[in-house]
Amino acid sequence: MNEAVRQFTDHELALARNGDAQALTALVLAHQRSVYSLALRMLGTRDLAEDLAQDVFMQLNRNLKSIESREHLAFWLRKVTAFRAIDQLRQRARVATTSFDEDTHLFNDADTSDPLLQRHLKLLLEELSPAARAVVLLRYQEDLDPVDIAQTLEMPINTVKSHLKRSLEFMRQETPGALSSRGEDESI
Amino acid sequence: MSQDLESQLRAALRPIAASATFEKRLIACVTDDPQHSQPKANSVGGAGWRSRARWLPVAAAACVLIGVGLQNRLQVRRERENGLEARRQVVEALRVTSQKLDLAYEIVKSQSSSFTDENPGV
Repeated sequence: MNEAVRQFTDHELALARNGDAQALTALVLAHQRSVYSLALRMLGTRDLAEDLAQDVFMQLNRNLKSIESREHLAFWLRKVTAFRAIDQLRQRARVATTSFDEDTHLFNDADTSDPLLQRHLKLLLEELSPAARAVVLLRYQEDLDPVDIAQTLEMPINTVKSHLKRSLEFMRQETPGALSSRGEDESI
Repeated sequence: MSQDLESQLRAALRPIAASATFEKRLIACVTDDPQHSQPKANSVGGAGWRSRARWLPVAAAACVLIGVGLQNRLQVRRERENGLEARRQVVEALRVTSQKLDLAYEIVKSQSSSFTDENPGV
C-alpha cells in the first residue's frame, strides 16, 4: 500500500476533490488493493469484501473535501474499512467463519513461503475476535506500528499491544513445532 | 517453516488485488457518483437539471401544504367574520325590539293615565 500511496500525488488529491475523473481513477487504483484486502481478510468472502470496498470508496467520494493530505486519505480509508468490517462481523457473527474456507485468495498467491502454513494462518486469523483481527491486519498487512493502529481503531495503545501479543501467542500455540518465537515479538 | 511467525504473517498478508471487473466497476461507481458532480455555472442540462428535478416533488409538496394552510386560515377568518356579523345583527334586533317595547310602554302608560283622569271613581 505504501508504494501505491506514494504514486498518488497531492496534486491528484486536489484534482480529485474537484471531481476530476482521472484523479479519482488514480485514487481508486492507488488504494483499492489495501481496502479490498483489509475487507476480504476481515469478512472472509469476496462478495462482502467488494460490497464493503465499494461503500467505503463511495463514502470517501462524498467526504473528499475533508481529506487534507495523502496520509490523511490512507488513514481515513483504513479506519472506515476496519470499523465497518468490525460492525458487520459483530452483526453477522458467523458469516466469516462459515465462508473463509471457500475463498482461496485470502493470502498472497505469489508468495514463496510455505502454502500449508499460510492456510493454517488463514484459519487461525479467522479464530480471532473482530478487533484483534483488525489489529493483526493493520500490523502485518498495512505495516502500521502500534501507535498508528491505536489511532486508526481509536483504541488505547496498551489494548493494541495486548491484542497483538495475545494473537501471536495464540497462533504460536496453535502451530506446534512450526514456528520459533525468535525475536519475542520485538516489533510490538 | 523455520521462519518466525511475524515474517510469515507479513509475507502472507500482502495486499491482494481485486478482480479487474470489480476494479472497473469501482472506478465507474466513484467517477459517476452524482454526489461528486460539480455544479457548472452555465450548465443547462445534466447534473444541474437532475439536481433541480430532485427538488421538484419536495417543492410541489411544500406548495400544497402552504396552500392548504392558507385556505384553512381564510376559512377560519371568514367564519369569524360571519359570526361577528350575526352577533351585530342580533344586537341590532334587540335594540330595535327594545325601542319598540319602550314606545309601546309609553303609549300604554299615557292612555292608562288619561283614562284615570277622565274616570276618577273607577
